[in-house]
Amino acid sequence: MLRTLSALALLGLVAAPAAAQTYPDRPITFVAPFPPGGVADQVGRPLGSAMEKLLKQPIVLRNQPGAGGAVGMAAVAQSRPDGYTLLVALSSISIIPEADKLFARQPAYTMDQLAPIALISADPTVMVVKADSPWKTVKDFVEDAKKRPGQIAYASSGVYGTLHVAMEMFAVAADIKLRHVPFSGGGPAVTALLGNNVQALASGPGPVLAQIKAGTLRPLAGWGDKRIPALPDVPTFKELGYKDVEFYIWAGLFAPKATPAPAINALREAAKKAVDDPEFKTTMGNLGSPISYLDAPEFQKFWDTDAARLAVAVKKIGKVE
Amino acid sequence: MIETLQNLALGFSVALAPNVLFYAVLGCVVGTLVGVLPGLGPLAGISLLLPLTFGLNPTTAIVLLAGIYYGAMYGGSTTSILMRIPGEAASVMTCVDGYAMTQKGRAGPALAIAALGSFVAGTLSVVALMLLAPPLATFALRFGPPEYTALLLLGLIVLAYMSSGSMPKTLAMATLGLVLGTIGIDAMSGFLRFTHGVTELGDGIGIVPVAVGLFGLSEILLTAGKDTPPQVYKPKLHELVPTGEDVRRSAAPTLRGSLLGFLIGIIPGSAHIISSFVSYGVEKRLAKRPEEFGHGAIEGVAGPESANNAAASGAFVPMLALGVPSGPIPAVMMAALMIHGVSPGPLLMEQQPALVWGFIASMYVGNLVLLILNLPMVGLFVNLLRVPYAYLYPCIVVFCVIGVYAVNSSVVDVWIMIVTGAVGYFLRKLDFDMAPVVLGLILSPMLELSLRQSLAMSAGRYDIFLQRPIAAIMLAIVVVLLALSVWPALKGGGDWRTRVGLDEKPG
Repeated sequence: MLRTLSALALLGLVAAPAAAQTYPDRPITFVAPFPPGGVADQVGRPLGSAMEKLLKQPIVLRNQPGAGGAVGMAAVAQSRPDGYTLLVALSSISIIPEADKLFARQPAYTMDQLAPIALISADPTVMVVKADSPWKTVKDFVEDAKKRPGQIAYASSGVYGTLHVAMEMFAVAADIKLRHVPFSGGGPAVTALLGNNVQALASGPGPVLAQIKAGTLRPLAGWGDKRIPALPDVPTFKELGYKDVEFYIWAGLFAPKATPAPAINALREAAKKAVDDPEFKTTMGNLGSPISYLDAPEFQKFWDTDAARLAVAVKKIGKVE
Repeated sequence: MIETLQNLALGFSVALAPNVLFYAVLGCVVGTLVGVLPGLGPLAGISLLLPLTFGLNPTTAIVLLAGIYYGAMYGGSTTSILMRIPGEAASVMTCVDGYAMTQKGRAGPALAIAALGSFVAGTLSVVALMLLAPPLATFALRFGPPEYTALLLLGLIVLAYMSSGSMPKTLAMATLGLVLGTIGIDAMSGFLRFTHGVTELGDGIGIVPVAVGLFGLSEILLTAGKDTPPQVYKPKLHELVPTGEDVRRSAAPTLRGSLLGFLIGIIPGSAHIISSFVSYGVEKRLAKRPEEFGHGAIEGVAGPESANNAAASGAFVPMLALGVPSGPIPAVMMAALMIHGVSPGPLLMEQQPALVWGFIASMYVGNLVLLILNLPMVGLFVNLLRVPYAYLYPCIVVFCVIGVYAVNSSVVDVWIMIVTGAVGYFLRKLDFDMAPVVLGLILSPMLELSLRQSLAMSAGRYDIFLQRPIAAIMLAIVVVLLALSVWPALKGGGDWRTRVGLDEKPG
């Protein structure tokens, strides 16, 4: 009911000129498959308000969390492909079907049910330890981990979650064994590190930047192709010689596969302009999450490469005993 | 101390500025409405209304969200007391004695005591927040998985005091709740358990749909099944006001509830939900007449209501002092701040004194606003009961469906509510109590996760619980409590239940 009310309020504010018979001629829904306050939400809402100015139709974001995002992703994958139900998804969109394969279970959705529209942001994860820990560099960390395999514990956002896969990708490349303690989300994982209950964490830059600046956490390396702009002194794993260690928490806009071309094109056009919207830029800057825009064809390529990399990582993790 | 007062003066200068005050009042009103809607609790409320704050400045945004938050905590008690529908998980315990008071025609005092208790608890815990935030927050962070496990074990003990009925029936219901809590993804291995291909069950069974079904729907079904419709209740003015005795009996539970709620509230995670259950257990254990619990004991309203409001303020301690997203609600509020370019961290208090102290001062203001708002509304709400059941109940069912659906946009949640409503109807016909099911369902996934996290941290060694002082102390308390309740049985023989006040209820 609240949502209907806010939708009505938006209708009143936008005062759409009667765009008869052309897409879009009614409000569009963005589905964020995570709870409010998460990355999908933080990117989706400002993107929606930038795009609704261009599409002249209100855009309402609906949080449909559940099962690590699978519920919302499956809902969009199986929704009517008319361009009015879109998905704001994160990298985990490629991990969930792989984990389903691992357990030989009926997947909630498959990646080919969704068509990419635009990549909005791609933040490399960053490895952080407590500032009072003995490790100053990745080298210190790896040497210590080799001396005592399975002793150093790290937190993650959940088993097969983004933060788990990122850390294991590094552990495999560095040939070390770490102890995995899953938590229920990125927030609790950061809290566990700050409370000394684990010793390391792979995290998106946003949630830990303030802690790094305050000197409570120390960044060791980033998972990106390039250094993180907000942390120019922190090397990437690639620079340190771990070639295939690359991981991004990215956010992109998707539509159901069979969405008609005119609608897809209108959305691509709107997304392209939206990322130049000054207000949107400010918001993303505030979040510490720079815009890395890619249009549909390039996004598809990026997605394929990323999904292949994650599939390898998930297979290497295998079933957790 | 002087510095604190100066800061507070700064805070009040921010909080009493007309536009900030306006949003504080607006937040309280909206929050109360959200809380009154069955199923919609504070988290759902601030999540749904988060986008509305994007156009505001950070201070007004956080003041508005905080208003919604504790407004919803206040509002949640209203439907619990009047209609036995928990607005959110934390008000489940209020349903029991609050609704029993309503059936005795004492809805007015119950609502008034809930509002007064919430006010006292809210205010006391803001004082504590203000004076003790930095040292407490550092302490709270030491609560890792092992400490959590010990705390939840303490919660399990409370299960035994949940019900006024027979012990075997209570334990049977607790087990049902614990078993229901195992549905969903196994957090350590990623296996799906008992989901039968329903993706929505991957996260387990939601607490709110179950609570609304077991308490609210079952009550409606039971009433509908009576031979003669219950008499429409017509309150008289003097019955709305709590008596002197009500206030006397509520004073100590309110203070204990405030302390307990605040301490549990500062612990990162979702433990704050259990504060009201623990408070209920404590009050029953300490009560002179424990047999009144479950049949309209005012202590059973005052304690839990104070505890859940104190926990609400306590949850902000780690967020304000250290910038830690210490629970679901602080996490949403931190997200709201980040969108405005304020990234909360350990330096938040130094870098944004106007925001932090304005926020703290607005909590004082908000608590007062809520009291002023809620006390006169007692009369209005009680008059809802004048509506004949034939009209009132269908409306309630509609609101339950809307509220439960709105939280996750999930039809599966609505089905869970309907099924548990039917199950609750039959179980209550057989004289089973519902509160242990809900507490079991709350405890089971949290206990499993924290136990297995602890063992993951220690590579399977159980001595991790003894090596960590806080965990060890709490486990010792668990052992003592268990021994205390078993002791009379070992010593005296006979029916030990009579000695711990958990006898079959007479008649």
